[in-house]
Amino acid sequence: MSGDHDDDFDPEAGFHPSCVGDVGRPDFDAPWQRRAFGLAVALSEFGHYPWEEFQQRLIGAIGAWQDAPSDAEGRWEYYEHWVAALSGLVDDRGLLEPGYVMPEDREGGVTHAR
Amino acid sequence: MTERFSYPDDREAASAAQVRALEALLIEKGVISGQTVDKVLGYFESEMTPLNGRRIVARAWVDPAFSDRLVADTPKAVSELDLPVGMAGAEGEHLAAVRNEPGVHNVVICTLCSCFPWPVLGLPPYWYKDPVFRARAAREPRVVLTELGVPLDDDTEVRVWDSSGHSRWFVVPQRPAGTDGMTEDELAELVTTEAMMGVALAAAPGAGTR
Repeated sequence: MSGDHDDDFDPEAGFHPSCVGDVGRPDFDAPWQRRAFGLAVALSEFGHYPWEEFQQRLIGAIGAWQDAPSDAEGRWEYYEHWVAALSGLVDDRGLLEPGYVMPEDREGGVTHAR
Repeated sequence: MTERFSYPDDREAASAAQVRALEALLIEKGVISGQTVDKVLGYFESEMTPLNGRRIVARAWVDPAFSDRLVADTPKAVSELDLPVGMAGAEGEHLAAVRNEPGVHNVVICTLCSCFPWPVLGLPPYWYKDPVFRARAAREPRVVLTELGVPLDDDTEVRVWDSSGHSRWFVVPQRPAGTDGMTEDELAELVTTEAMMGVALAAAPGAGTR
């Protein structure tokens, strides 16, 4: 099997069962997904990183999944990639390191997302 | 619950624990407060909803000059309306509207990840993030639209817009027939999230949307 998911699906299979109208549509399948969403947005909103940087991370995480050998990929779970992107960014930006400087304390002031 | 929700417990539990630990650490280190995430989520869930998009589309339907401005410079036109504060931020700065017209149908996808126009459409539906949907919609949009019940004749051009970090497209659907006497508020009720993604048409009057 190819690692390219574009070739993995059956064109006749139709859409996912969750492909329904507006009514009763779940935004999140589990509370941790909602939490992970809120955490990533909050850190960006309060100036810890530009949103674009998170987005690039997410694209990278999903790309790595798509390029991996099929048997290593497992099930598609969007928010696992979201969490991987978030954790990587928190590490790289040193948010949990001693001496991390909060955005409002940085020279030149905070660049707020809004 | 469908099969999709029956995840192995360990994988699901591991993700939940990871998120919980990350937030707890960020609070402990003073990077965020215990209320930060709830406040941000509350704002998104109460203000950044498809209601904003419905109001934008309804205005475009009743005001052709606004409709033209909306297509020419979306953030500027949107700022004319009294929509929630934050419409300009949180990914709203790159909003870009495309308009369906006789002979032209627009559909919005994202082939890389979910770059959804939150401020006008709320959070994306699950299937929009599914690689199968994204890949198929990019490759065979006419087939996909037909499956979704969007009638397209052979003369109608399908334009596929790939949302990205730079542009967050949404579709201004065509105003349904038989809506001449309707108010802007009544018209807004005919606009669904799916219609603003181009994977459905605006509802006919009386059909209901919610």
